[in-house]
Amino acid sequence: MTAFVTLAGVYSTPVLSSVLGSERSRDQGLMTTSRALDQFLSSVEKRAFKIAQLGLRNDDDALDAVQDAMMKLVQSYAARPVDEWRPLFYRILANRIRDMQRRRTVRGRIMAWLPARDSEDDEEFDAIAQAPSQDAGPAKRIELDEAIGVLETAVAELPPRQQQAFLLRNFEGLDVSETASAMGCSEGSVKTHYFRALESLRSRLGEVF
Amino acid sequence: MTDPTDFEKRTREVLDEGADRLDGRTRSRLTQARYAALAQLEQPARHWWRGFVPAGAAAAVAVLAVILWSPKPPGQPAAAVDDMELLADADAPDFVDDGEDLEFYEWAAGEVET
Repeated sequence: MTAFVTLAGVYSTPVLSSVLGSERSRDQGLMTTSRALDQFLSSVEKRAFKIAQLGLRNDDDALDAVQDAMMKLVQSYAARPVDEWRPLFYRILANRIRDMQRRRTVRGRIMAWLPARDSEDDEEFDAIAQAPSQDAGPAKRIELDEAIGVLETAVAELPPRQQQAFLLRNFEGLDVSETASAMGCSEGSVKTHYFRALESLRSRLGEVF
Repeated sequence: MTDPTDFEKRTREVLDEGADRLDGRTRSRLTQARYAALAQLEQPARHWWRGFVPAGAAAAVAVLAVILWSPKPPGQPAAAVDDMELLADADAPDFVDDGEDLEFYEWAAGEVET
């Protein structure tokens, strides 16, 4: 009993209760940040993947780039205001895509000297990969499939800066200033790249769209 | 910002449709990537100096090893260490407390030399 009274006295001291209080508020802050980040990342992950996929033309590389961007955002910028996350995230992703493109160019030069290897043999059946995605009617689906294929091919063939400006402005919905921040260039450059991308796509897809 | 043209709206719809149609494997890997990124928040913060702790410990051990195992210079066979032991030993005779004893030891040392 004496021990209980003594401990109760210690726990009720202002210093300890303030330490416990600050610990609790730190945990609550962490939980709030974690929830906000989860919400943010799940809101951008699919489009981020498509942007990386169009830039890299490889699903695995695109997934790696998106994962790296997520890791970096959480690691370095979680404490920044929420409205800064989007341009920051796309800036990190853009840098990652550019690094991978450069590395691939170097690797391509090296691999050109080596004998070709058939990668089809390595493919294994993956039940998750074969899972059907959200579906429309068959005719609509075919029409959309075709439109998606044509547009994605055209976007993938745009020069990198035009592609980036088009995807960030039109697909991700960033405004000019956010796009400039994500691309690391001036707002004027964003407008120029975006305008050229639109012109190029319109001249190529005008009849289809 | 000017309103998007029909072309811009249409391209956005099609791109959105493409994003919504991601296969199960890709969706699952994106979720895993998100969880992995968020898991970093739960890890305790690492301080920059913690990276130097193992190197510092290794350096300290190396210095200690050099001091303990280095060959002693000729003519000084562990005398300093012996003196330290003698002074630190609680059971050793007290040389400094008694002035008379000290004088006696000085006289004895002189006799030995002559």
